[in-house]
Amino acid sequence: MPDTSTVAEATQTPVYADDVSELDPSQRGNDPLLHVEHLVKEFPVSSSIFRRGKKRSVHAVNDVSFDIYPEETFGLVGESGCGKSTTGRCLMRLINPTSGTVVFNGEDVSNMKGKQLKGLRHDMQYVFQDPYASLNPRMTIGELISEPMYIHNEGGTNEERIDTVRQLLKVVGLNPEHINRYPHEFSGGQRQRIGIARAFALHPKLIICDEPVSALDVSIQAQVLNLLDELQQEFGTAYLFIAHDLSVVQHISDRVAVMYLGSICEMSDWRSLYAEPCHPYSQALLSAVPVADPDLQRSRERIILAGDPPSPIDPPSGCLFHTRCPIAQEICSKEKPELREIEPGHFCACHFAKPFPIEGSSIKL
Amino acid sequence: MAFGKKKGEAKDPLANTPLSGILDGITDLKEQPIPEGHHLLEVDDLHMFFHTKDGVVKAVNGVSYTLDRGETLGVVGESGSGKSVTAMTIMGLIDMPPGKIEGGDVLYRGKSLLKMSEREMQTVRGNDIAMIFQDPMTALNPVYRVGDQIGEPLRIHRGYSKKDAVDRAAELLSMVGIPNAEQRVREYPHEFSGGMRQRAMIAMALACDPDILIADEPTTALDVTIQAQIIELMQKMQEQNGNAIIMITHDLGVVADIADKIMVMYAGNPVEFGTADDIFYNPIHPYTWGLMRSIPEQVTDEKKPLTPIKGNPPSLVTLPKGCSFSPRCPYATDLCRNEVPKTYTLPDGHYSKCHYALDPDFVKGRAPENSRSYSGGTPRVVIDEPAGAPVAGMAKSEPGTVTAVDGALAQKAPEAASAEEGEE
Repeated sequence: MPDTSTVAEATQTPVYADDVSELDPSQRGNDPLLHVEHLVKEFPVSSSIFRRGKKRSVHAVNDVSFDIYPEETFGLVGESGCGKSTTGRCLMRLINPTSGTVVFNGEDVSNMKGKQLKGLRHDMQYVFQDPYASLNPRMTIGELISEPMYIHNEGGTNEERIDTVRQLLKVVGLNPEHINRYPHEFSGGQRQRIGIARAFALHPKLIICDEPVSALDVSIQAQVLNLLDELQQEFGTAYLFIAHDLSVVQHISDRVAVMYLGSICEMSDWRSLYAEPCHPYSQALLSAVPVADPDLQRSRERIILAGDPPSPIDPPSGCLFHTRCPIAQEICSKEKPELREIEPGHFCACHFAKPFPIEGSSIKL
Repeated sequence: MAFGKKKGEAKDPLANTPLSGILDGITDLKEQPIPEGHHLLEVDDLHMFFHTKDGVVKAVNGVSYTLDRGETLGVVGESGSGKSVTAMTIMGLIDMPPGKIEGGDVLYRGKSLLKMSEREMQTVRGNDIAMIFQDPMTALNPVYRVGDQIGEPLRIHRGYSKKDAVDRAAELLSMVGIPNAEQRVREYPHEFSGGMRQRAMIAMALACDPDILIADEPTTALDVTIQAQIIELMQKMQEQNGNAIIMITHDLGVVADIADKIMVMYAGNPVEFGTADDIFYNPIHPYTWGLMRSIPEQVTDEKKPLTPIKGNPPSLVTLPKGCSFSPRCPYATDLCRNEVPKTYTLPDGHYSKCHYALDPDFVKGRAPENSRSYSGGTPRVVIDEPAGAPVAGMAKSEPGTVTAVDGALAQKAPEAASAEEGEE
């Protein structure tokens, strides 16, 4: 188990050595908007009749701790099956975490029920990955976007709500006159705008964006990313941005956490994570991303990891990454490295990250 | 059911197909020399339209390129731009009808693939030209063992016995980096991970040592670390076998990694074609610029805002009048909105379908800031050939023969030449 007392302390009073300009000074030292500690989610695997008694489970999220501050964008990046989306769903209680605490806006989310939970979802909204599946085809976009207001009985009279919807449509770059159209009349990028407008309808404090652009083409992706950026500046919403695309996360995030097999292996502000990744997995991940620059691509050295990620049903002992790590040592298969602060604001879960590097551990990108 | 069996023979997938022994009497095309003046593969002004109830879908609208052994062509574009359909047309995998070839030709070693009979095509498919599909989860048959599936092309094209084919399949599997290949060939696709299935697909495609390997988004369904493995494998195999690769992808990073030549497609049209360096450092089409500005740059100092392309791609049934990119192009003029641009070719074969592609003043300052065309760095000497203005779309023409400037203007200062260009 990582020593999270230091982690929690450090994350609550972060010192951004070279990142002071980026965050509003009044924010620093503020209480985090969302505080996640030791979050665990296990899904039981139905065992066959021959294996009765042997309870097995998928360790989807395995002791994850992080904070999100008001008005910041926190990126959560990792390969498919690493538990990014499960984390996001646990925060909003779309699924119930197995253990761990989630504190949102000073209130413990993990045991909320009924009205309280409804209140939580007023301030925390979700943008889903698939813009085709997340909009009810039988509702007009006016109904879709105003539904949160109906549910929470907000936004005044019907006419006022419709006015708000029109404004929201304008804000997300859609024609307000299309308010009575159905989702099938819109393209993928436009549908994602509708999903975003719906998420913003109640002016939430935090929006969980679960792969909001991965289903979109590059040119449309850039439109949606810019829109999210603009809306954040206008409304001051915090984002938890879940994605597998490292360059998209880099573009939008203030701080980034890299997940592998249900655990966070590195967490830092975007600049130091992308400039000096410390965990061998982050290094391999960053070097595997193809860069749209042939000369750079030819000249740079790349770490190509062997094999596939292990199964989360039966995760490896010690460091979860040791089975694929190019610099794994004996200790790695025995002891689980804790997520420790190697530089102010930069956390890494590797035995051999600074200040104890071993020979060959500093793979230069 | 074969599913439950651990040991014993799987059902022979080829037992009753007419395919076995199809090679009899037809010689291998790839053994024949390439006729003089021809390339390994020449796609010449190919037009393939789908005739549907809603209208004519112009899926492939004038695609031209050439490919030689050892080369890699990257085809990039957004979904629905006709990348895959072009490849499927070459392979003869489009149902006709609704598809119909409306013009152009595809020459493989000087022989037209479009004029071949279905029986001849069957000897080409998998043997001379092989394809890797996007989704390794659905491209493998779940009820046959992986080894039988990899061995299938060998049995069809090479007349291998069942046992020899499986033995060779094991060798191929270990060649593409799957450990314990002897046991793995006896497994079913569901026992493989996504990356391993894609490796198995590559092994299958390479089984008959094809001349051309067409890879249709081979890494899109995979994670980045697995993607890097697959790309490295394809490059290694190409070095070993000397085959040509056509890499279809929407990821500019992937083509920067692997491609020698790049074709950028938009709405069924190749809007720009050139070497990788041409496309990335010297792009001359506004759509290529837009694509480059849309992808986040890998920077560690200051984040620059993205400049997306406005609007959505047009429907292929109702293409806009004039240049199909004109409704989204920030630099579109009346000329663009009314006239379909010709193919403007530079001496080195770099071509663009933009009225203003050869105008250095237009390109300078409008191309992405980090490209050389932004600063107008490359001298643009136009080839000395009469203006072979193509008959709209259908004319047989090779890239290189279509020039925008007539002989009198050629070799003039580029500014002068381009001024004419703009007024055309």
